[in-house]
Amino acid sequence: MTMSDKIPDLDTFLVYSITLEEEAADRHDELADVMDVHNNPEVAATFRKLAHYSRLHAQEIRDHAAGRELPVMAPWDFEWEGAESPESGDMTAANYLMNTAQALQLAMANEQRAFDFYDQISRESPVPEVAAMAAEFAAEEKEHLGMLQVWMEKTDASVNEERFDFDLIKISE
Amino acid sequence: MSLSSANVALTFKHYKSGTKPIWCPGCGDFAVLNAITKALAQLQLPLQDVALISGIGCSSRIAAYTSVYGFHGVHGRALPLATGLKAARKDLTVLVAGGDGDGLSIGGNHFIHACRRNKDLTYIMMDNEVYGMTKGQASPTTAPDWENSKLTPEGTGIRSFKPAALALASGASFIARGFSGDPNGLARIIAAAIEHKGFAFVQALSVCPTYRPEHAEWKEHVRKLETGPTDNPMLAIQRIVADDGMSTGIIYQRELPSLVRAGNDQSGTLAEIESEFEL
Repeated sequence: MTMSDKIPDLDTFLVYSITLEEEAADRHDELADVMDVHNNPEVAATFRKLAHYSRLHAQEIRDHAAGRELPVMAPWDFEWEGAESPESGDMTAANYLMNTAQALQLAMANEQRAFDFYDQISRESPVPEVAAMAAEFAAEEKEHLGMLQVWMEKTDASVNEERFDFDLIKISE
Repeated sequence: MSLSSANVALTFKHYKSGTKPIWCPGCGDFAVLNAITKALAQLQLPLQDVALISGIGCSSRIAAYTSVYGFHGVHGRALPLATGLKAARKDLTVLVAGGDGDGLSIGGNHFIHACRRNKDLTYIMMDNEVYGMTKGQASPTTAPDWENSKLTPEGTGIRSFKPAALALASGASFIARGFSGDPNGLARIIAAAIEHKGFAFVQALSVCPTYRPEHAEWKEHVRKLETGPTDNPMLAIQRIVADDGMSTGIIYQRELPSLVRAGNDQSGTLAEIESEFEL
């Protein structure tokens, strides 16, 4: 069953899209919090900005949904391709020593998965209004990817050095 | 005014406190926290009607990260604390959380007796197969050949517990396994565990990125159980033993009698409970 089969109408598509963006924001906030706690303020600030952008996008989609009665779905009713919504960053890819470039790489991977999600629906959905809105959102995700790429290029290389935790030296070393 | 009385739909964020977890980035316990709060939100349980009791260890910090009643208790003693609370306040939904070391080593005796008493508790064991807080020692669920601890450089050589088998043999009436890499699936299991009347045991495989980073591979091995829950203990034990411990879902669910004092309903007042302990 493809994503288009799982998303038979515009209301369901909007619920999926809002959830995708909100969960991306929540995950970025979660990562920002944990970087704060582990005294990694530069990366915390990066994740905080990313959370802000995801929230803005979620609000845009909510505006699209204004006046519509959207279906209520339990978290486990969403049939994502993976275990979580596509723009939620992989928590296991994070560590307290990560630098800004690594945080941005994580964010770009998230945006790429979000693009793939919308792009697939835009190409496969038999519902014209779903396909059109998915194409619009895919274009926005592509734009976000480009912005992150620029951000990455502007990042000061000095903050991108590999970091090391002496507590984690293996006994054999 | 409490949120519940304000007639506001509770989201998972309402069940989180403002305290930022100090878990390592990448820790599976974040996903368990999200799963618990999502399950509570789905069930729309009023904040003041839920208590989360925990033991000691990284995962046991979870009580502080929720906004329901919480008690960050004594090492290995979360279950007796929770049992006492449930006896006194049977109106509360009581969750219990802790790690594999807390629950199966120092708390192992309490675990088996909690299973057989079958009080209406939901016990979430966040199993990362290591003592993380004390910097990476082997726990009762660590494989015997794990050599990455300075305490056991050649492995423990001791076979590990199968928590689900132990729970079944001890009389638990609900046994399930979830995975931090599938927080929504875990939330569904926890919601079912909360709704179960009796002692519900949920083994939550939770990756420790610091001391067991190799467990990042779990996401390649974990899969859903091919069958639904059984109420047949013989069938359940066959499934548990035949499995490599990576199948997730509700393994066993059965209605069993709960511990009650003979002759009357359980007491609900402090005075009645105190009278039980008079010398």
